[in-house]
Amino acid sequence: MSAGKDAALVVIGPPKWSLDPENPVPPEDDAVLLRLGEDGRATAYSGKVEYGQGIRSGFAYAVADELDLPVDSVEVVLGDTRMVPYDRGTTGSASTRTVGLQLRRAAAAARQALIGLAAEEWATDAGGITAEKGEVLEIDGASRSARFAELLEGRTLEIDIPEQIVIKQIDDLNLTADAARRVDAIARVTGTAKYSRDIALPGMLHGKILRPPSYGARLQQVDTTRAEQVPGFVAFVRDGDFAGVVAEREDAAEYALETVRARWEETRVDSSDWSLPGLLKEKAKDLAVLRESGSLDAGFDAADRIFEGVYFVPYVANATMEPCASVAEWDGGHLTVWSGNRAPFTERAGIAQAFGISEDSVDVITAEVGGSFGSKSSTVSYEAARLSQEVGRPVRVAYSREEEFTWSTVRPAALIEIRSGVSSDGEIVAWDYVAYHAGETPFRGRRGADTPYGTANVRIAVANAESPLSSGSYRSLGGAVNHFAREVHIDEIAAGMGIDPVELRSRNLAHPRYRRVLEVAAQKFGWSSRSGSDGKGFGVALGHDVGSYVAQCVELSVSGREVQVERVVAAFDCGLALNPDGVRNQVEGSIMMGIGTALWEAMEFDGGRVLNPGFSRYRVPRITDAPEIEVELVGDPDTPSTGAGEPGIVPVAAAVANAVTDATGTRVDQLPIVPRL
Amino acid sequence: MQLLVNGQAHEVDAGAERTLLSVLRHEVGLTGTKYGCGEGNCGACTVLLDGEATRSCITPVASAAGREITTIEGVEGLADGDGLHPVQEAFARESAFQCAYCTPGFIVSTVALLERNPKPDRKQIRAALSGHICRCGTYPRILKAVETAAELMGGQTGDTA
Repeated sequence: MSAGKDAALVVIGPPKWSLDPENPVPPEDDAVLLRLGEDGRATAYSGKVEYGQGIRSGFAYAVADELDLPVDSVEVVLGDTRMVPYDRGTTGSASTRTVGLQLRRAAAAARQALIGLAAEEWATDAGGITAEKGEVLEIDGASRSARFAELLEGRTLEIDIPEQIVIKQIDDLNLTADAARRVDAIARVTGTAKYSRDIALPGMLHGKILRPPSYGARLQQVDTTRAEQVPGFVAFVRDGDFAGVVAEREDAAEYALETVRARWEETRVDSSDWSLPGLLKEKAKDLAVLRESGSLDAGFDAADRIFEGVYFVPYVANATMEPCASVAEWDGGHLTVWSGNRAPFTERAGIAQAFGISEDSVDVITAEVGGSFGSKSSTVSYEAARLSQEVGRPVRVAYSREEEFTWSTVRPAALIEIRSGVSSDGEIVAWDYVAYHAGETPFRGRRGADTPYGTANVRIAVANAESPLSSGSYRSLGGAVNHFAREVHIDEIAAGMGIDPVELRSRNLAHPRYRRVLEVAAQKFGWSSRSGSDGKGFGVALGHDVGSYVAQCVELSVSGREVQVERVVAAFDCGLALNPDGVRNQVEGSIMMGIGTALWEAMEFDGGRVLNPGFSRYRVPRITDAPEIEVELVGDPDTPSTGAGEPGIVPVAAAVANAVTDATGTRVDQLPIVPRL
Repeated sequence: MQLLVNGQAHEVDAGAERTLLSVLRHEVGLTGTKYGCGEGNCGACTVLLDGEATRSCITPVASAAGREITTIEGVEGLADGDGLHPVQEAFARESAFQCAYCTPGFIVSTVALLERNPKPDRKQIRAALSGHICRCGTYPRILKAVETAAELMGGQTGDTA
């Protein structure tokens, strides 16, 4: 365990990265979680990565709190397979409630061990000793004290986390509660934080990949005569359909690539974003019934009104600000890659397999990650490693924006059909929900497909459909899409029944946490006293994701084909919010992202080509689009923390769509809204 | 060709048609300025040219020769006293970032904005920063950070339109 080498106190334990503690997915091998050096400084280790959600800061403050150390004495090492315990990946808004909790336990164990050392040295009872700001001291009279560094001098201790270790109560996590300033703030605002394309190794070369003109095209013939004459050209690498240029400088690689003549055999692809809605249903397979109860027939028979709707959500791009990049270096048979990723161990396994070498022969070092939201695959690392292998020198591959739009994964499109039966007093008595989500695996569309509105007669069914674009993960994958359809449909019921949308939801919701977020959002927003004028619209929607509950009210104005979201009030319940400012930051960001998917964002493609691979043609939210956002945290501090990074996005598109319908009188059942106005 | 970057002269061997961004990152070795889109649409590559916010990804390096270039690494040097520039301090204080890939660009543009308008109102702030993208969506915090920076620099912001 190299992380413990010259440490004075090392805490060992399982990393506890799995969300289900009863069924941990192996490997959960014991590893070094925390080390406290002779200098009294602590280092925590985790296989999670930081891509903007603030976990480096969250972990640092939590360890500082549990250890009674100043936060600037704590370092957090993330996503470096040479040093950190295994972790399957930073997904599902799970870091704080899994690894974060375990690091707190590790820090508490270290604190307890330090107090034990002092008790031994002072020949007194450990119960009379406490810790404070990097010191242990006697509680009564404080006659004796010692700095952690003094206690640890010359020692080498390895401890396990005691089964019964007690972590601090929320009221005692003072640093965490007030942690408005992130521990990495200085590096971020001075430009010294190193993202993958900022990493330069001695002797490093630059690679550019030869891209096919359309998806699925096969490389037939290449002529590199002119490329070879470009100053700085080093090599052209071809392996089947994979091909790329390596050069001394990035601009030389780009220029040389442009001079390569390639003949491709293209596959005939008929699908386009125009034909997508029909295609999804036509190519659906593996319809899985997630829940079925009561009798839909009986429910619809008993209903006074029946509502039917079909909803469509297009592919959207994650469009992280940082396009993918990776640096690869071979040392004999050992490969090291520096990349922005969200699962370094998964990337390591994939690369090892691709090159036919053992996982031990690959190290993945995660650089700062310039956004993920579910994207950042290991493809770029494979490309850099393949080129580097050929030229025998380190190689960096850094995508252009166009490559990022074209060769990264996108959020799956979906077509959703809902049929509901409603009694005269607005009670939903039948609910038939069938969703067709693009994607290779059926689980993609399941998240958020179920309904919180109490209905005896219900069927929830989800199918996956063949996907013309390469679909991947996204913030609340499936969840945000399913919520759009359901929450828009609920508003259609409300309008049809002549019942206020908040009131209709309230009548059909039993769960107290749903009811609370709805009530708080409506009350803080002033829902009941809202007053419209020309072009003004108000919308509401709610949802649940990764254990958390959220409701949002939106005010916006529509003028011609311009929509300005003016105000969003969110009530958010993630149980205990350890770092309220960090939670707010995530919810605000989720709302901005959701506004983009509601109003403008859609991948345009035809014949296997992406037609809008740039910010000039793919519109994302800008600062001029930012509404006033109020986030009310309503979670019960006694309820364990649940996810904070994703749930904020699930109601946004529906709340915006419902507000646009309110403003224009025209029903919105397809996204994005603005091109259809 | 000679470039004056953050008060220091750099002799660089680069073709005139290369972008200023490419030369800053690869030849001068300053990686705080980011590539985001390569077409001047996202603002991540923003630097100051004689004090004016400029998209370095669409600026030929030759046109920057002989002018004063300030990158995010040089922003501290523009402030009175040691340590962070008030704009940097304000972004840190308000946690006006998540992944922070866009942050250098926003900070550099804000420095230019407050130089020519020490008391911008929200409408002016939005207009000045509308060419930037923060995909993490921290815009409400960025608005707040610019106001905080203006206060730290002795100006005051106007009404919150």
